[in-house]
Amino acid sequence: MKSRRLMSGLAAVGCAVGVALPTRVAAAVSDADFKALKDLVQQMNGKLQSLEQTNELDQQTIQQLQKQLGETQQTAADAEQKSIAAAQAQTQPLPRVPIDEATVNHNFQILGDAEFQYVKATGQNGSFLLADFAPIFLYRGGDNILFEAGFDTTIANNAPTSSGYTTTFNLSFAQLDYVMNDYMTLCAGELLIPLGTYTERGAGWLNKFPDDPLAVDLVPGSGVGVELRGAVPLGNAGKFINYSVYAVNGPSSADGTGNADALDLGGNVGARSDGVVANLHGNPAGGARLGFFVPFKPHCDLELGISGQSGEWDNGGTHLWSAGVFDAALHLGPNFEAKGEYIISRYGSDDLGQINQEGWFMQAGYKLAGLNLELPIINDMEIVGRYDSLHDGLGTRTQRYTAGYIYYITNTLLFEGDYEFLHSTDPTQVNQLILQLSYGF
Amino acid sequence: MNKSKQFKALVQAIFAAMVVGGLASTLYSAEPTSATPPAKVDSASSQTNFVEMNAGSSDTNRVVVKSQLTGAELYSIHCNRCHAERYPTERTAAQWKTIMLHMQVRANIPVSQARLILQYLQENSGR
Repeated sequence: MKSRRLMSGLAAVGCAVGVALPTRVAAAVSDADFKALKDLVQQMNGKLQSLEQTNELDQQTIQQLQKQLGETQQTAADAEQKSIAAAQAQTQPLPRVPIDEATVNHNFQILGDAEFQYVKATGQNGSFLLADFAPIFLYRGGDNILFEAGFDTTIANNAPTSSGYTTTFNLSFAQLDYVMNDYMTLCAGELLIPLGTYTERGAGWLNKFPDDPLAVDLVPGSGVGVELRGAVPLGNAGKFINYSVYAVNGPSSADGTGNADALDLGGNVGARSDGVVANLHGNPAGGARLGFFVPFKPHCDLELGISGQSGEWDNGGTHLWSAGVFDAALHLGPNFEAKGEYIISRYGSDDLGQINQEGWFMQAGYKLAGLNLELPIINDMEIVGRYDSLHDGLGTRTQRYTAGYIYYITNTLLFEGDYEFLHSTDPTQVNQLILQLSYGF
Repeated sequence: MNKSKQFKALVQAIFAAMVVGGLASTLYSAEPTSATPPAKVDSASSQTNFVEMNAGSSDTNRVVVKSQLTGAELYSIHCNRCHAERYPTERTAAQWKTIMLHMQVRANIPVSQARLILQYLQENSGR
């Protein structure tokens, strides 16, 4: 704007000089003066043209700057909009992405547990006793079919007979489950036998103690066969009855005889070591369990169950092995649990006649968080106690008192400690301290 | 009385105290199961499914009847029977489907209840 004004001024001055001077001083101006004045006017015209060119360049520069300013403002506006959109996206929950169809219909999972123990028994050296890894493989095909298999891997000394150690890899169970309808599921394979609930729902990491109750040795933990099981709700308050009916090969004789000490509860899996495929005796054994579950409110419930199994056990098929179990479990709030089983078994033998076995256990646990002491270590601790009794029918009677604790490092990583006090007619049964680190996954 | 008998008596006393103490603590803290109908509960905000039944023409006479347990309640009831409750976010929705089928068979849980538990776990799962 200044340059434009300057040019206009110079033009006006030039015109005024050109018009006014010749009439007023014509007679007094010499040729030299006129020429000088003419040159001066020409120089001013040149300057005027130069200023006009400069002005044009300035105008172009201003237009470019205005254009760049507009672009910058647009970029800033776009960036602001993107920033707002990003902030909104962060505050809103992510949309649930549809699960891949193949993942839904077929899924493979590994669950299980692992334990590590230290044991100090009276009169013996303390020892890091056990490294146990027990994975459970689950393969689900569709909505109603599940194959599940559990393994147990442990190591043991070969001493004193040889050097080194032996790793054992046992198949605990391997079964195919087919949910036929809402009230019945078919299971087939190496089954966990529902004599009581301990084997199915209390062993390993689920056990609040490092070792099994004595009495569960009276019944087999697993067997090869088929099973129908299910549950029927009673009303809408959570009550239900559940049942299991099964047939398995059943117990057998370790040496083929009918002698009492030859009873083998878990060895009859249908295939012999010499390649012969057969049940070791004539007929399978049958069993069943009926349970009743009633919840009073969450974490407060009672379950009662009764179960039994019977079948021949010796190769000649002349003797029956039968067992009955009564089981109970009680939860009173999130901090108190009590459960127990009473087990009896009977079997005939060639040498000792009928053998009557009996055992029971009761255990309880109380989580100290229920005391509301707000102490970090106390809050994560559970005090447990158990009473065991076993009469094996062959002359050995054992009673065991166990007191201990569980420290919950996390809800699945437990540090347990127990002291077991034994009274037994078997002199090898002695008091012992067991410390265990267990992890369920 | 020798030491072993003293220890045995001590263990028995501790065991009995745990049972009695646990029972007493639980009964003391237990919710009363009053015969009187509970106060009106907003079925939309309650964690439990409720059905409101009109017992009279006035709103003050409406009675709330608990008709069905939710998946969250059934989860609390069943999981704790055998082990500490696992967080729903520990597994994906597809993993929970497999695990619930395993638990349904192993613990003999009614299928209708297992479905509600699965729905709860999947809705709160770790994707």
